[in-house]
Amino acid sequence: MGEYHIRIVNVNKSFGPVEALKNVSIDIPRGNFTTFLGPSGCGKTTMLRTIAGFYELKEGEIYIGERLINRVPSHQRNAIMVFQDYALFPHMNIGENIAYGLKIKKIPNEEIKSRVEKTTSYLGIQGLEKRNPGQISGGQQQRVALARALVMEPEVLLLDEPLSNLDAKLRMNIRAELRQIQKRLGITTIYVTHDQAEALALSDQIAIMDTGRIIQSGTPWEIYYKPLNEFVADFVGTANLITGRVSESSDKYLLLDIDAAQIMIEEPNLSVDTGSTVTLCIRPETIEIFKGMPEDKTNVLKGKIVNYIFEGSQIRYWVEIDQKKVVVDSFDPSEKGIYEGEVAIRFHPKKMHILYGKE
Amino acid sequence: MSVCFPASRYMRRILREPFLLLILTGIILCLLIFVAYPMIRVFSYPSLKDFVQVPQNIRYLRAIRNSLLMVVLSTSTATLIGFLFAYTITRTDVPLKKVLKVISILPLFSPPFMVAFSYLMMFGKNGLITAQLLGLRVSIFGWHGLWLSETIAFFPVAALIMEGVLQSIAPSLEYAGRNLGATGFKLFRTITLPLARPGVAGAALLVSILILSDFGNPIMIAGDFSVLVTEAWMRVEGWGDVRGAAVLSSILLLPSLIIFMIQRYWVRQRSYVTITGKITQVEKEPTRWYIKWTLFSLCSIVAVMILLVYVALLIGAFVKGWGFDWTLTTNYVKSIFSRSPELMHSLTFAVIAGFASSLFSMTAAYLVSRKRFLLRKFVDFTCILPAAIPGIFFGIGYSIAFTRPPIDLYGTASIIILSMIFWNVSMGYQTGIGTFQQISPSLGEAAANLGASSMKIFRQIEAPLIKTSFFSAFVVSFIRAITTLSVIVFLSTSRNVVATFTIMNLVSDGFYGKAAALTSFLLVIAFAVLGLAKLVIGKRMELFRV
Repeated sequence: MGEYHIRIVNVNKSFGPVEALKNVSIDIPRGNFTTFLGPSGCGKTTMLRTIAGFYELKEGEIYIGERLINRVPSHQRNAIMVFQDYALFPHMNIGENIAYGLKIKKIPNEEIKSRVEKTTSYLGIQGLEKRNPGQISGGQQQRVALARALVMEPEVLLLDEPLSNLDAKLRMNIRAELRQIQKRLGITTIYVTHDQAEALALSDQIAIMDTGRIIQSGTPWEIYYKPLNEFVADFVGTANLITGRVSESSDKYLLLDIDAAQIMIEEPNLSVDTGSTVTLCIRPETIEIFKGMPEDKTNVLKGKIVNYIFEGSQIRYWVEIDQKKVVVDSFDPSEKGIYEGEVAIRFHPKKMHILYGKE
Repeated sequence: MSVCFPASRYMRRILREPFLLLILTGIILCLLIFVAYPMIRVFSYPSLKDFVQVPQNIRYLRAIRNSLLMVVLSTSTATLIGFLFAYTITRTDVPLKKVLKVISILPLFSPPFMVAFSYLMMFGKNGLITAQLLGLRVSIFGWHGLWLSETIAFFPVAALIMEGVLQSIAPSLEYAGRNLGATGFKLFRTITLPLARPGVAGAALLVSILILSDFGNPIMIAGDFSVLVTEAWMRVEGWGDVRGAAVLSSILLLPSLIIFMIQRYWVRQRSYVTITGKITQVEKEPTRWYIKWTLFSLCSIVAVMILLVYVALLIGAFVKGWGFDWTLTTNYVKSIFSRSPELMHSLTFAVIAGFASSLFSMTAAYLVSRKRFLLRKFVDFTCILPAAIPGIFFGIGYSIAFTRPPIDLYGTASIIILSMIFWNVSMGYQTGIGTFQQISPSLGEAAANLGASSMKIFRQIEAPLIKTSFFSAFVVSFIRAITTLSVIVFLSTSRNVVATFTIMNLVSDGFYGKAAALTSFLLVIAFAVLGLAKLVIGKRMELFRV
């Protein structure tokens, strides 16, 4: 994994007055699955298309391996893309669709045949060759689009929200399959999505994008538990954001005054000055909930349940504390049942994350 | 009986709304009398013997052969140039794209005979370019002149259709092709062209109908080279042989009806055009310089050929004697105001016909798309049908059906206005159907669900959209009515003469000056109405839905 396969250095791109990409830089190791995640219009698709070579790159550099590819035409980059709408050619059957790129490359027919067969059997879509794109299901279309890319044996696979046109259940299945295939082939993959759950499930590395910038990049675990700011915390998963004033600060712990109480944070991730204002990101599943008061009263706050959703394996509560709502996920409610009315919640001293800077 | 049940139930529902029933009956009666009846009269007027004798008539056979030849030649060139334009405008970054585009749609709003007339002035025996500038003793008169005129007159239709087709190809398909290795011409050959092929076929078929039924160009420029339409006209004009004309028109109708059906029910279904929502910002692959400049030069040549048409008219309207006396004069322009009932006739007839036609067709479109009733299929079919009927056939139909009892409208304004109304019904009707399809019934349902009364729904949701398409329908019907020659050529007399008829006679008698002045005025009116409508409805106006 040591060596970087793709290096994106200070890329800028604008469409007329609209700046779609601002100073984007990221390094992607060989064989890595990297996701650009962000809301629509954040520039993630533009980034992907720029890597694919559909947009002219004037500012910045993109390297694949040692090669600077700024001026290399799309088809010589060996970076093949799977489109959101699959872009299967409607005037060709499935077999012709998959073989298209190989035919253009003038690969001998024998080899085309064996490579198409290999890929279709690999993806479980044999026997569809004679059908037209309109005659197969959405899931099959998805696989055909993937087959058309994989059959080229690309160095880099580019995926533009390839699961967004599938229904929920199929999406889950194909998601797992996609990750498996990618791992087995060891192909460097760049994925674009607005679905944070998908990004967390699939990626080795996530780059969170907003308004043309990469806000934060890191492993899914880092992105989820160590968000850099409120935007990331809020966009990935559910976050309770609590703001308070630091009343005591040391390497070991931190005391924070919030409206109702004082909260202690052990082993804080950042050192902050006494008297400054900071925001905490607390994930719902790290908060404990009690009917009545627990014995250890550190970080315990009293509140009232205003709403809940029962989801089987867990219950999500909205607990009102001083006119602020805190989301709490309580797992395995098999014995506890569903709480109502007055409750107490406890923030775990080691499971709170201090956000850098306040926007 | 279970099959009849739904229809009878719908009918019962309609019976409960007497106003609706009245309108419905009126529409069906009108379509029967003014579309179906004249058509039947054309077929039934000649005897069977007249039809059987066609293969023995050398003049008929020659006209058939010539018509076929022109359809093949002109359709090919018009489609080719149309595609060239459409491709250049949608896929390349040539300069002056907007200008080229505007010039290319000008002929759509001009009298169809105008191209032939102007080329006669430019390239004829006394042509400004051929004789005066180049000193050549050649003339464009004949089949080659007809070929050129029809190509220039009808390629814009093809261009417009194919532009739509090329634009609706999902950009990701071409991206995918490029990504997988196809560049430049290879991409065009393997992706763009095959995807556009059904659209190209559709455009070619539609253009071929227009060329087959084109009357204005051959009558002015073809001379002895007679095609079916002009032969039909000669029958009546020269020999008073209405039967012969009816036979020839019937021969003409058959292929255009078949082509129309193929286009409508077969090619359309094979089209790959899908609207997949999400149109992403498309950055085009820069066109290679030699392709870019080749396309640009070709389009520019065509654009110049179009502009020549208008230049010739303008000059023609202001010189004393085309070809021999080039002194300037304003006499022709003045004479139009002083003693020309035809221009006034053209204007009033076209306004009335345009308005009535839009009203009629929008009402029919509303009923067909929103109500269930007996004969709904008949109304739908008969409203579209006129698009496939050559103007000359329509005109002969009216002259046979409505110039003798029980309905005798000989020489009246009514017969001309009626023919204009119903010949144009298909234009407004298709716009209307498109509009009502666009207004999903769930929109109204949603409004009703939120408490809006049906009047309110109509006023706030449907009316604004309908207004736009009503205007579009009016503009198209008006322009087609004021510029048509083929429909009215059999119906014009000295009492109800319209401008296009006078122009035809002036040109054939060699009075180019007055003809040019009159044509220029028709153009001014047509473009004024167009500009006004554009100003009123703006961008949403959708003209020439095909």
